[in-house]
Amino acid sequence: MSNQKFLSAQIKRRTLLKSMAAAGAAAGASTLGLNRAFAQEPEKPAEIIVRAWGGSWVDALKAGVSDSFTKATGIAVRHDLTEDNEIQPKVWAAVAQKRVPPIHINWDTTTNATKSALRGVTEDLSDLPNLKNTTDLSKPVGLDGYPIVNTYGYVYVLAFRPEAFPNGAPKSWNDLLDPKLKGRIALYNDGIGFHFPAQVAGGGKLEDIPANMQPAWDFITKIKAQQPLLGEDPDFTTWFQRGEIDAACTISTNAREAKKNGINIDWVVPEEGAKFDTDGLWIPKGLPENELYWAKQYINHALTKEAQQVWLDGLGLPGVVPGLTPPADLVGDPSYPTTEEDFKHLIRISTKVQVENESQWFAKFKEIMQG
Amino acid sequence: MRPSRAAYPIRWRVMDILEQVAGKLWPRSFSAGLPYLMLLPALLLVGVLVWGLVEIGDSSLRTLDTSTFLMSENYTLANYQRALSERFFTTVAGRSLMGSLIVTVVTLIFAFPYSYLMVRTQSSALRKFLLVALFLPFFIGQVVRAYGWLIILGNQGMVNEALGLVGVTPIRLLYNYPAVLFGLVQYMLPFAVLMLAPAMTAIPAELESAASSLGANWISSFRHIVLPLSKPGLVGAGLVVFTLSLTDFAIPAILGGGSQDFIANAIYDQFFRTSDQGMGATLSLLLVAVGSILVGLVFMVFGAGTLAMGGDRK
Repeated sequence: MSNQKFLSAQIKRRTLLKSMAAAGAAAGASTLGLNRAFAQEPEKPAEIIVRAWGGSWVDALKAGVSDSFTKATGIAVRHDLTEDNEIQPKVWAAVAQKRVPPIHINWDTTTNATKSALRGVTEDLSDLPNLKNTTDLSKPVGLDGYPIVNTYGYVYVLAFRPEAFPNGAPKSWNDLLDPKLKGRIALYNDGIGFHFPAQVAGGGKLEDIPANMQPAWDFITKIKAQQPLLGEDPDFTTWFQRGEIDAACTISTNAREAKKNGINIDWVVPEEGAKFDTDGLWIPKGLPENELYWAKQYINHALTKEAQQVWLDGLGLPGVVPGLTPPADLVGDPSYPTTEEDFKHLIRISTKVQVENESQWFAKFKEIMQG
Repeated sequence: MRPSRAAYPIRWRVMDILEQVAGKLWPRSFSAGLPYLMLLPALLLVGVLVWGLVEIGDSSLRTLDTSTFLMSENYTLANYQRALSERFFTTVAGRSLMGSLIVTVVTLIFAFPYSYLMVRTQSSALRKFLLVALFLPFFIGQVVRAYGWLIILGNQGMVNEALGLVGVTPIRLLYNYPAVLFGLVQYMLPFAVLMLAPAMTAIPAELESAASSLGANWISSFRHIVLPLSKPGLVGAGLVVFTLSLTDFAIPAILGGGSQDFIANAIYDQFFRTSDQGMGATLSLLLVAVGSILVGLVFMVFGAGTLAMGGDRK
């Protein structure tokens, strides 16, 4: 199945089967689900530990999910800001050695979380009551049950400083090849978010992923000549703020955060498309029964409409519960897709393909950029 | 008559008891074994490191199965083959080795006069100033120092602002190879000075005075007295700076803009970004091997320098 078709199929399910059917009922039912669970509650731990990304990411999680969870249960939530890539081997080692894992819940990229699920270190979350109120986006693709619950989607947009583009917003990823942008663009240091649009911008087809990605590598080689900066989420905000870059392929949340900080910045989904992906929550195996129960309740709570609304308002991202209201500044924004038309411009490749090939893609990207 | 308490104070009695206990636990006949007992912590530490290396060696012979994200059961040399054949790894290794060499040479060039001045100056104030300037960076971590350079050398940093005052448009001073080398030299300078200073202190000032009184100019006495007698310090400092540079992570990561990785950055990526512990272990072992071989060669050719700690110095 082509990726375009795959994408279309996902959107139809999301939009037609879920969006309207569950709207309205979700708000009350989700909270009730949580309350019902509390009626049979096992012993409460003093705290649960949720691994999170820092900055505006953890602020949004705290405001939307953690604080209200603590208010409802009395259980404190501690946010562990260890990088997602660094917590992964620690959790894997703990499960392999049959130790209690260092965290209760991992807020993770779906791709990373899928690796953990394939390794068998994740608890099944199929019994969360609030799952029934979510769209298909919450279900991890290509895995049995719910070893992860996806909680929102996001887009790797082309963010730019308008003053660097006096003739108007960039329309294509090829616009990054403009000589005046030499040394003024930025990508993630493993190329994540850029491989798929590069495949299209390089003249290739999404259907050829992963078998033939030469067009992507050719385009990335051209980008290399532009001497891009390579970094992580916080770097993009910093670089825009310090005037180091004029354009970047980054998650819209980072661009929005820079804008909130007073930086004149805008973003587009270029004509070749932009990568759409998801993040999720999962629980490592090896927790005591009572802690597992409350960790599940935390994720269940994160799937309520109220929690999603506040959490994702902070992130500026579309959630998995129907009926959420987009933040005022993102109504109609391509980085906040809500309609089938919005999704047509986004690229979504199956998690399975990404997980199986990501290491090779990262290595190839590094080879080009470090050469 | 009751004996005076001052004649045999209570603390002496306590000491007697402790001595008796110590005598029972470690009889005098065991005294020959005391040095070995004192070696035990070091042996334990080295043992743990060796055990870790064995574990890493085991991991390096296993490949990652991306369908289960578990390491293979069977042993293979595939990771070593990849590490030695893939362009990315050879590029990063070459950059790390060359960078470490350049940093070592440049650092020694800067550290030498600094140490000499610090040791030879008659001014107590100047010596104190040089010592404070040397130790101050130790109180600031490597990462903080690297971020300091981002503030100073960035596009909107102090240097570019100063250049702007004379009409020069901002220039990119960061996120390139020279920036990484610059950061490393700044980081390594105190280490080199600290290694060089004891060696220079050991050179009697009278030797230089004697050479001078016999007609040697400053260059001759430097070349024939100071430099040869500083060799132990230069070797020791060079080894420390080279090995620390070769294994550095933070400076290339922060000042390199993501495109100037050293081997440590590549190892981090394998362990934490691609979850390939086998490949990470392979690169780690190769780094240890290359570093050890190079250090061994230096030991063979130049001796261990100040690292010999008064033993067999060449």
